[in-house]
Amino acid sequence: MKNMKTHHSGRITERSLFYWILRRHRSMQLFLLLIIIVSLFFKVFPLEMQKRIINEAIYLKELQLLYLYCGLYIGAVTIAGLMKYGMNVLQVYIGQKILVEMREELYQHVLQLPLQFYRKMQAGTVISAMTAELNAIGFFLGGAIAIPITSVLTFIVFIGFMFNLNPLLALLSMGIYPFELVVLPYLQKKYNKLNNKRVKTTRSMANVVNESISGIHEIHGNTSYELEEKKLGSFIKELHALMNKLFIVKYGIKFANNLFQSLGPFILFIVGGYLAINGEFTLGALVAFLSAYEKVYDPWKELIEYYQSYQDAKIRYKQIMQIFDLDPPHLLLPPGRDILALQGNISFKNVRFTVPGGIKLLENISFEIKKNEQVALVGYSGSGKSTLALLIAQLYDASRGSITIDGASITDLCKKDIGKNVAMIAQHPFIFSGSIADNLLYGIRAISENSNKEFPSRKRILAVVRDVGLEDDLIRFGLQAVLSQEQCRPFKTKFLRMRQIVQTGLRDEFSSAIEFYDADKYLYYSSIRDNLVFGDSVNGEFIIEHLPDHSGFMTLLRDTNLEKPLLTIGFAIATETVNLLEDFQDDEFFFRDNPMEHKEFTFYKELLARLKSPQPKNTEARKFLLILALRFIPGKHSIISLPSAMEKKILAARKMFQKTIVGINVDCCKERSACSLPEKKGEASSLKGFVPLCPSEYLYTRTLLDNILFGAVKSDQALDEHLRTIATQAFEAENLLDEVMDIGLHFEVGSKGDRLSGGQKQKLAIARAFLKDVPILIMDEATASLDNTSQARIQGLLENQFKNRKTVVSVIHRLDLTPAYDKIIVLKAGRIVEQGTYEQLMKQKGDFYELTRAET
Amino acid sequence: MNLPEQKPDIKALTGLADIQEFLNRFFIFSGAPDGVVGLFAYLAKKEEYDKGQMILSEGRRCDRIFLIKSGEVDIFQNFKERRFHLQLLSHDSLNYFGELALLAEVDWFFSARAWTDITLISISRKAFSKVMERYPEAYKSMVDKIINSRIHRFVDQQQYLMDNLAIDAWRENPDQS
Ligand SMILES: Nc1ncnc2c1ncn2[C@@H]1O[C@H](COP(=O)(O)OP(=O)(O)O)[C@@H](O)[C@H]1O
Ligand SMILES: [Mg+2]
Repeated sequence: MKNMKTHHSGRITERSLFYWILRRHRSMQLFLLLIIIVSLFFKVFPLEMQKRIINEAIYLKELQLLYLYCGLYIGAVTIAGLMKYGMNVLQVYIGQKILVEMREELYQHVLQLPLQFYRKMQAGTVISAMTAELNAIGFFLGGAIAIPITSVLTFIVFIGFMFNLNPLLALLSMGIYPFELVVLPYLQKKYNKLNNKRVKTTRSMANVVNESISGIHEIHGNTSYELEEKKLGSFIKELHALMNKLFIVKYGIKFANNLFQSLGPFILFIVGGYLAINGEFTLGALVAFLSAYEKVYDPWKELIEYYQSYQDAKIRYKQIMQIFDLDPPHLLLPPGRDILALQGNISFKNVRFTVPGGIKLLENISFEIKKNEQVALVGYSGSGKSTLALLIAQLYDASRGSITIDGASITDLCKKDIGKNVAMIAQHPFIFSGSIADNLLYGIRAISENSNKEFPSRKRILAVVRDVGLEDDLIRFGLQAVLSQEQCRPFKTKFLRMRQIVQTGLRDEFSSAIEFYDADKYLYYSSIRDNLVFGDSVNGEFIIEHLPDHSGFMTLLRDTNLEKPLLTIGFAIATETVNLLEDFQDDEFFFRDNPMEHKEFTFYKELLARLKSPQPKNTEARKFLLILALRFIPGKHSIISLPSAMEKKILAARKMFQKTIVGINVDCCKERSACSLPEKKGEASSLKGFVPLCPSEYLYTRTLLDNILFGAVKSDQALDEHLRTIATQAFEAENLLDEVMDIGLHFEVGSKGDRLSGGQKQKLAIARAFLKDVPILIMDEATASLDNTSQARIQGLLENQFKNRKTVVSVIHRLDLTPAYDKIIVLKAGRIVEQGTYEQLMKQKGDFYELTRAET
Repeated sequence: MNLPEQKPDIKALTGLADIQEFLNRFFIFSGAPDGVVGLFAYLAKKEEYDKGQMILSEGRRCDRIFLIKSGEVDIFQNFKERRFHLQLLSHDSLNYFGELALLAEVDWFFSARAWTDITLISISRKAFSKVMERYPEAYKSMVDKIINSRIHRFVDQQQYLMDNLAIDAWRENPDQS
């Protein structure tokens, strides 16, 4: 890249591993060092005590001294332990803190890398580098300084102590270290090499898995399971072989370590024992020496381990940094000036764009687009239209020639200049997980921090949503939402008003499709549970699955002579279903209008096999029969029919339930005034937030649509377009729909917007770009996946709203839309073959003319 | 309620027998295995329409067959902005319409509305094909019957049109006799 900028204070990927360690959190690291030094004293001190306990206290038989030395010994050991504990905690803390910074800065860098980089790079590589591999480095970071310093110092202090006791012995016991210094690094090198390979193989494996998960549709579609398995299989085998070798070396290192460790005492006992027997060495000194020798091995071992983990971390670090070793092509923020406000004059002069390998995707591109002009880019697919669009948006950089916006070279503009002035809509836009609103405001949030761009008002957001034709979708999402009390509060009166419209003004129309809730009537399209409980509790107390364990409810069933008939109903449903659907138990379709779910089939089949009568003694069996009965909806479930005698009984039980269990007078639900609900009396806790199916009450456990319809839908076909239209009109007349759309804005779109259709994603992306309200709009076949009406609607926006307000560059396939553009640029094999107005090009009878003819 | 505690009777609860018996009366279901008709009875939906209400409109996707349980249904077609009455189907002669929906995904090529208050039993194509997947032997004879009945209907309607070609080939409202 020729336009490398020198503004970076050293590219992040060129920093060494120790750059992070030495420059971060120095005061904390100094503090750690201090603890280390102090702790050294408390490490040696106990050894001295050991010697004195034997040589003085025991030898002189002085109890007083024994107690004193032992006390000092245990005190010092405890303090040393505590300090070690503190050091460990501090180390990890520092390490993790450095890791956080490292990861954040690296991620920032990675996000700014040019698109070309991501063309070559597999997502799996980037992901595992940013996560697992960095983690492994984190463990090393904290101890990077502390461990070697501690070890070396401890080592020196103990050696000093040993020399002090007996120089000869000390020299002898140290004689083995030189051997270690040769053997261990040799083994370590071998280990490093293998480990290096392991990291690479693991990464390739991650890529294969990542790719097959992204392409799982294709794999299922082609049933190419074996093929994919083979791809991964070769890596698995390779990894297996590597791991075997790796562990052979690793345990080889361990073995060498252990051998050297036991050689020491061997020499000590032989020589030290000999000296002690000859009276040239006190017993106390020998014991202390032995302890010191053991202790001196610890720092030595730690140093070796440190060396290993340093090597490991170094390799990982290098590999990670190598991946991302590129400069972001542009500055993020302008140096020493404000972010520009551009007009939208775009000029290309002899622009060429090549990709690595020397292939020219665009060649000799020259054109002028004036402020507020609308330009169509047309041409065969593969002719370079998208590439050209990406060049304007600074997502690619020209290899030769110049691109200017308002006279300024695009290479001199920084990312935020573009972000604030250019909006781009891709053909396959990316939708982020989060709500619709999050996605709509994505572009604005990104630039609002660095500029004083205002957040759009709700009115403006909804206007844009309407403009792009996302209104109906948003209303549908809104209607599906189950709202909590808080969410609902600001809109509650409006939603209840919508219910009232359906209940009164539109009652005749809707009564063919909806069975309205009515406190005095048996509801055929509601479950037996709804008919009995006639309401919901916000805390879930009265959901069907809990009811058989609810003592109050069960007492009520017994008192009203309902328990036995309900058990019989449950038994009949189970028996009929098991008989009828034996062959279809795997197919969810057959269970759609059945109280039993298809995954429960086997359970009920086995249950029936054990039952002798519809009135089992076993409480579990009773519970599950009852559940089926309570789910039964006579109007929908044809598997059995409800004897009419039951209806009256259930109605009577409903009244009793309201009176005795939730303490509400259901009669008040007949009027439109509010019932005396616990919420209002301030005794919500005692009545557990029960909300009856009252015309004046919002039902927090049900969807907004359920709340507006306030009844059960008889059949989905009945709730047809006609009804939707008249309801929409009635709501619109009172300006009630904005609230529903508002709720719809909070709809969660799922990961990558998976819960949206292709068209919805596209419209969302268009709205997102429009909301940014910037002078330059680039659309890359932005409406290609929309239906004709939606396409025409967006086109209309360009022609009306954006006329003389925005520079628009639009890649389009549908040539019948081109007459509306001020200028048409025709691309062919990476070159501009024609440009001009529609009339000019048609008259010219060249490539454009041919294209239009081919279309019709 | 002072009713003596009823001995719960399971037989009294089973509701499918009636519909199954109703379906069995129709030519297209006759001769089909018991299991098949039982499943259709289970998957069938009851639909009720008020006098004058549209049941289906030309041009819409068709997805189910309708069997007339009670009442009369007016079948008509719009042509050159005029409404041509094709057939008046009544429950007492075991009538049904939309049978082609079971076989193929097409748009309705006629419209239907309730001539009186009516009750219909409908079976969706999805239900039909789901059941038929398990009974491939029954499928062929079923298709035969559906096509034959379609031909009969075609002949009927043509004759009706030819008979009435004069003045009265269309009617505007149910109340207009
Ligand atoms: N980064 C890239 N590396 C290599 N080839 C590319 C790259 N981007 C696009 N291409 C190729 O360049 C040509 C033009 O692509 P594109 O601009 O997407 O065409 P259009 O949008 O007109 O259909 C295509 O042949 C495409 O395969
Ligand atoms: Mg393209």
